[in-house]
Amino acid sequence: MSAYVFSISATAAVFVLLALSLNIITGYAGQAMMGQAAFFGIGAYTAAILTETYHVNFWLALILGMLFTGLCGAVLGLISLRLQADFLAITTIGINFVMVALFNNMSITGASLGLNVTKPSFFGRQMGNQEFFFLTLIVIVIVCLLIVKMRRSWFGMALASINNDAAAARSFGIDVSRYQILAFIIGTAIAGLAGGIYAHRMGYIASSDFAFTVSIQILSMVVIGGIGTIRGPILGALLLSVLPEALRFVSDFVSDYRSLVYGGLLVLMVRFMPGGLFGSSSPIVRGSLWVFRKITGKGGAAA
Amino acid sequence: MNELMRVEDLKMYFGGLKAIDGLDLVINEGETLGIIGPNGAGKTTLFNAICGVYKPTGGKVIFKGQEVQGQPAYVMARKGIARTFQISKPLADLTILDNVVAAAGVHEYTGMRSYFRKSHTPEVIAKAEAVLEETGLTEVRDKKASDVSLGYLRRLEIARVLVTDPELIMLDEPCAGLSNFAINEVTELILKLKERKKSIVLIEHNLPITMKVCDRIMVLSYGKKIAEGPPEVVKHDKQVIEAYLGEEDEA
Repeated sequence: MSAYVFSISATAAVFVLLALSLNIITGYAGQAMMGQAAFFGIGAYTAAILTETYHVNFWLALILGMLFTGLCGAVLGLISLRLQADFLAITTIGINFVMVALFNNMSITGASLGLNVTKPSFFGRQMGNQEFFFLTLIVIVIVCLLIVKMRRSWFGMALASINNDAAAARSFGIDVSRYQILAFIIGTAIAGLAGGIYAHRMGYIASSDFAFTVSIQILSMVVIGGIGTIRGPILGALLLSVLPEALRFVSDFVSDYRSLVYGGLLVLMVRFMPGGLFGSSSPIVRGSLWVFRKITGKGGAAA
Repeated sequence: MNELMRVEDLKMYFGGLKAIDGLDLVINEGETLGIIGPNGAGKTTLFNAICGVYKPTGGKVIFKGQEVQGQPAYVMARKGIARTFQISKPLADLTILDNVVAAAGVHEYTGMRSYFRKSHTPEVIAKAEAVLEETGLTEVRDKKASDVSLGYLRRLEIARVLVTDPELIMLDEPCAGLSNFAINEVTELILKLKERKKSIVLIEHNLPITMKVCDRIMVLSYGKKIAEGPPEVVKHDKQVIEAYLGEEDEA
């Protein structure tokens, strides 16, 4: 694969991870989160400051960045307990803007100049797009396995219950607040890890990398792919990261008007296909299952 | 009969509104207590104050000799006080079976530790299926809760309560909005529970059913108890007739 392909793949992989992280909060726990990029940024800046300013080992910095982001997520989780869905959405948008302003003004984050980040070495070799792509891929696989396990556990059952009806969930023993906070911690921590990886791959981060439009981009990926599933956010993120690049050869329109395309698609999907392109009720999924059954002659249940 | 729950001088105020105003109530083991009263009498508020949806303004709720008032709803559920909702609250995206499985996990929701425990074990599924059978929901087992009719949802409410092995079952208008046929089915189900010596508190507007099912009836009006006793006695109580049918014109 060429360097160009790896560069696109590494970015796409980070967005896959971000979409999966948002899906835990919004898809499984049903909490309106519109500021996922803020936590992506907290993880990125934390890890970058640790390696640059304090010369902490890259791997340790990734983990500390993840933990610190999770801690910030816990604070948001506590705030969310007091808020109804629409107010939580507005609050998280606000948090996104506040964080970008902080990144853009604090001296520790390099203010408006941004931060230069030294690319780490792995076995004496400086890590490039290829290494970062595989690193992110491994993290994605681990996260997916953990989500699969979650969905088969009582933890997953608790989130599904809360997502459907919090009052009903309480009536059969679920401490809704506790699970809500846990979902925020897990979802933001994964976004923080994605941030740490992103910062060290790019070698330079600035506040605009974590702007509100990035949150919308992540949300679009989850919604267009299929909220509440595993394949949905993955395929949605791949589609929306790769498609604009692929179309670049045809026309600059899609990459120039990215936000417009994301926003437009988001509105269309929510209106006409709320389950997403790859959700369980999607004609694409049903159609391919039908074809699959015809070919294999099996009557297997739809997953 | 052994006392299961005692409510003493329970008060539930919302600002100046005294929804429950100094209510005393005893529920014995194996007994079915009916609560009736006009709309706005405070019946559902009473349930919510007992079950921890609201924090009572004052008074005590003593369950199995332990003071439990003011504890959150999920704690009450774990202690064995299970309730249904007047407006069905199904987990709409889940199948009927998964709705019941979710409730079967009443003692499993322990935070991060619950991540390491599988939900759909053969034992849990078997238990859920037994309850589905008992409540007549087997035929819709794999349907999404959003796709079944109200009659099924009403019984799903009861199934979710039963699967938690509750010590006290609180049913909030289980027949509301149902056809006569569906009402009969739910009534049969309640009678079956009664035969099994379950302790039940029933809110129901359908008086013939309440009279038929309950051992004792309590009448609420404006947050206060205005009568209590066996169905035959309550039926002929002057105050009850007034509260339900309005006072006679004195002119």
